[in-house]
Amino acid sequence: MLTGRILSARVGTLVLTLWLVSILVFFAGQVLPGDVGRVMLGPFADAQAVAELNKRLGADQPVLVQYWLWFSKAVTGDFGTSLSMRAPVAPFVLESLKRSAALAGIILIFLIPLGVGGGVIAGLNAGRIIDRLIVMAGVSFGIVPDFVSGLMLLIVFGLWLNWFPISGVAPDGAGFWTHGYYLILPALPLVLNLAGYIARMTRAGVIEAMAADYTRTAVLKGLEPGEIILRHVLRNALTPTIAVLATQTGYMLGGLVVIEALFGIQGLGNLVLNAAKARDFPMLEAGVLVMAAIFVLSAAVGDLVLALLDPRQRRRTSS
Amino acid sequence: MTDLTESPAPRRAVAGFPAVRRIRGAFPGLPPSVVIGTLLLLFWVVCAVSGNLFVPYDPYAEDFLATLTPPDALHWFGTDQLGRDVLSRIIVGSRDILLVAPLATLAGVAAGSIIGLVLGYFGGLTDAIGARLLDTLMAFPFIVLVTMTLVAIGPSNLTVILVIGIAYAPLVARTVRAAVREQKERDYVSAARLGGEGPLAIMFLEILPNIRETILIELVTRLGYAFFSIATLSFLGLGIQPPSADWGLAVADGYGFLTGGKWWVVVFNSAAIVSLVMATNLIAQGIGAFENSDA
Amino acid sequence: MTKRRDIDALRNLSGDVWNVAVDEYQGGFLKRRDLLKYAALLGLTGFAASQGLGGARAAAAAGGTVRVGLGQPTKAIDPVSLTDPASIGVISQVGEYLILDDPKDGLQPKLALSWEADETASRWTFKLRPGVKFHNGRAVTGRDVVASFERLVDPASGSSALSAYKGILSKGGAKLVDDETVAFDLDGPNSNFPFYVSSDVYNAVILPADYAGDFEKNFNGTGPFKLESFRPKQGASFVRNEDYWGDKALPDRVEIKFFDDEQAQVLALQAGQLDVIPSTTRLELAIEGNPNFKLLSVQASSHDQVHLRTDQAPFTDKRIRRALALTIDREAVVKGLLKGRAIVGNDTPFAPIFPSADPSVPQRKQDIAEAKRLLGEAGVPNGFEVTLTTERAYDIPDYAVIIQNFARKAGIDVKLNVLPQDAYYGSATFGSSPWLDSVLGITDYGHRGTPDIFLNATLKSSGAWNAAHFSNPAYDALLLDYSKARDLQAQRLVAGKIQTLLLDETPAIISYFSQYSRIVSSKVEGVRFTAISHLLLDRVSFVQA
Repeated sequence: MLTGRILSARVGTLVLTLWLVSILVFFAGQVLPGDVGRVMLGPFADAQAVAELNKRLGADQPVLVQYWLWFSKAVTGDFGTSLSMRAPVAPFVLESLKRSAALAGIILIFLIPLGVGGGVIAGLNAGRIIDRLIVMAGVSFGIVPDFVSGLMLLIVFGLWLNWFPISGVAPDGAGFWTHGYYLILPALPLVLNLAGYIARMTRAGVIEAMAADYTRTAVLKGLEPGEIILRHVLRNALTPTIAVLATQTGYMLGGLVVIEALFGIQGLGNLVLNAAKARDFPMLEAGVLVMAAIFVLSAAVGDLVLALLDPRQRRRTSS
Repeated sequence: MTDLTESPAPRRAVAGFPAVRRIRGAFPGLPPSVVIGTLLLLFWVVCAVSGNLFVPYDPYAEDFLATLTPPDALHWFGTDQLGRDVLSRIIVGSRDILLVAPLATLAGVAAGSIIGLVLGYFGGLTDAIGARLLDTLMAFPFIVLVTMTLVAIGPSNLTVILVIGIAYAPLVARTVRAAVREQKERDYVSAARLGGEGPLAIMFLEILPNIRETILIELVTRLGYAFFSIATLSFLGLGIQPPSADWGLAVADGYGFLTGGKWWVVVFNSAAIVSLVMATNLIAQGIGAFENSDA
Repeated sequence: MTKRRDIDALRNLSGDVWNVAVDEYQGGFLKRRDLLKYAALLGLTGFAASQGLGGARAAAAAGGTVRVGLGQPTKAIDPVSLTDPASIGVISQVGEYLILDDPKDGLQPKLALSWEADETASRWTFKLRPGVKFHNGRAVTGRDVVASFERLVDPASGSSALSAYKGILSKGGAKLVDDETVAFDLDGPNSNFPFYVSSDVYNAVILPADYAGDFEKNFNGTGPFKLESFRPKQGASFVRNEDYWGDKALPDRVEIKFFDDEQAQVLALQAGQLDVIPSTTRLELAIEGNPNFKLLSVQASSHDQVHLRTDQAPFTDKRIRRALALTIDREAVVKGLLKGRAIVGNDTPFAPIFPSADPSVPQRKQDIAEAKRLLGEAGVPNGFEVTLTTERAYDIPDYAVIIQNFARKAGIDVKLNVLPQDAYYGSATFGSSPWLDSVLGITDYGHRGTPDIFLNATLKSSGAWNAAHFSNPAYDALLLDYSKARDLQAQRLVAGKIQTLLLDETPAIISYFSQYSRIVSSKVEGVRFTAISHLLLDRVSFVQA
């Protein structure tokens, strides 16, 4: 079956890509100045203490040996112990992944209705004032960098109006809704950034679908306008939008370093950034691999959606 | 943005190459957005090139007696934490980003186009291996790439150009590769091949001119993102370095004062960043690049 | 002036070394506070305490939770290897030292009750406080103390205090006398040794003898708070230690939250979600004039050292080095860059807060004409171009810009190369570190209780941090004299010579010594801290609104 073949090819690609990424991370790490021991003990530490620490951590062994030691364990699912945190890597990565996923979830909850809804309304009213307003708003918010909008939201809603907590981290033992509430403010800059983009995609799709032969046929058949929009227009118009959303989700799960820093969320982006700074190789490898896996998977999901929902695209994706 | 609604029908006639139509459609009556965007961009270019000639104050001269003074008749945009004139700094602050962003974009688009041409034209094993490597690079988190490069070779404008270039090359390569594969099937390519032209000549003399619209749109779109990314890098302290009057740096330096009611440093510098991103977006939008772009 | 009888009483307290100090005090050369600090150094802890040191204890209401913002610890928290201010802030809740170096009151006995040196000051004996218990209930004995210090001087333990003890204390130097007495046999005479077992060496927390490097598991110490919960990268909470040996902590709990971004901390403070945060000049500007917050500061010996490579052009000529130093208006730097929260430096590590500093050495002031004259004499009347390499940390980039502007006045064209901290320090060895290799650079040095480490490591010809590549036999000889000098007067005499020599040679520019500050909410009282980031919260109380 076509889908099955695409799927198995995708899995193969994923594994290959991850392996290449792991090599890239490892050897890129070798060009960084300073070593683990020096970074951990600081510039003012005694050279002998640094050497001892490197020896203990295995950082004094040849590069290939270090990579093999890591790789032979990683394939069995053991990602090792963090050099700087002195604890197994996996719980740290999972914890960060969970936080990043929660943030991405909240972003999507706002982004989908706003972006898709706005795009559909604009597309159906193409050329009218409401269309222009929606497109204009989307573009305006889209060009404000997330650190600028994040700051403004923080000041206005967090500090002046006091509607939202200015930290993205709910206190211990907080419930599901509280956690969500704390993530609203951090989510908004990204929602504002992407809503215009999603709306434009949807709008273009809707306009194209409205002009398409199958819609004309449906109109000629005398179907209800509501039914035409739902069954014909939306179904065809949303396919590229869903694909784009899938790709963007990959980015949301790791690319939000600025938002994570502003709101103190210990997400994947921060984990990887700090691991790179600390030369914490096992942590860096695990974090980057998770991010890469999510990226590849979400891109694959986007392609699959196209392939499954849109017969016109099938040929292209399988290539 | 208006042309989308007016003429959906011809679009299908040149299916797969809406860009061509868009640019052609754009030129007879130049859309106002392109005019506004170009003027805005030109304004900043003038500031970058000769801003030091008309700044009211020396942008780098600190004045400890007048730190963080609110906007007034003397300092229209106020002063920063070292007493430097914010207006003067914003005027010359365009210099680094306007130098770095276009160069980074050019580097990325040039490298990406060459890779895309080669992969798309040769296909087969070369393409399969190349595509995997591109996937790998794209899956490599941008922030890790930036951090490692910066720590390894130190931050400088050159580093930022390099990092952004490396990040954009695979994205551009993917688009160009798809365009080349489409062109490869055309008659003129077979004709050139039969005429005894070598692969290099076909790639660069035959195919390249035919995909230049795709590349141009990549260039403009990526430039918009480059402004965005470079400002973000500066904000994180990973990009352009002090004492540059760079806007992203100024926002990063000044946002702690915001809560004390000292808004001018952040607000004016943010507005400058936004205006630059807006200028490119207006231009890109005018020539219809938006629709083809993806982040 | 103190009455005659009191002076006599003071004399009876100890021997000759002490009496020289009392003479100085009587003669008006030594301030009362300095005398008290000196008493503590000699182990006259009873005297210091009788003078009301250790903080007046106003009756304050117990209870409440102190909420603290700190930076992100750079690695797993372990007293033996820690180096970052956030980790120091955390361990000061649970860990204690033999002695606390209080920025106001000097050395305060904690787990040590008293201490004394032999005649040559190369063997120091410490009496331990009885009845102190670790949080797990076990009593602290001399064995724990010996083990704690042996661990710190053992290269294999990953100790980051090894360089602090180099040439002072080696493996096997700490000895158990009995359960309540510990002795240290030093590598050589050192009259300042109590500082080395005090909180100044922040790694010197007294830990159980069987400590296995897993501090984060239970934070087992002796301090006024004990662990409630710890979440790596997020924060920690501590509760009052009801078995504490001293006055029980006033707050019920301490809640610490880690932040990746310093400005996010000030936002959280302003939103009322924190009570205490670290301070930087930028954050101070944000809360300036706001009555809801106050800035607490202590004077420290921390400084940003500008090194001038004495073995490389253009700084091989000391006239050129002096010329650059003369361009800087130190008062302006203190007022402008540091908002007055610093004292002017005189291109020497002898900060005015060290009792041994000689205050009679003339202060170097900005003198552009003299700078130009020196440049002319050295054959570069039109100035020269030089690159200033430094790190992007604290106020240093701004300081670099200021130096650039001052230097321009004498025609010196300074180009800036500001690196991230990691990159600046590089591998921290000569030949592969911009810090140690650059011709002109700025490095931040944290507070120390004595100038010894600055003098030895940064300026001695064999110093490990000698970025100036300063190699001056006269200086090295004076340094030896200084470490042998037993009384304050002798120390100050050598200090004066060192200060004069450094002014003449100018291997480094030290234009200020900063204060160390914290920003606290006006609702809390009694927050104390040291100049190296210890955060003492046991006396904190809440102002009733």
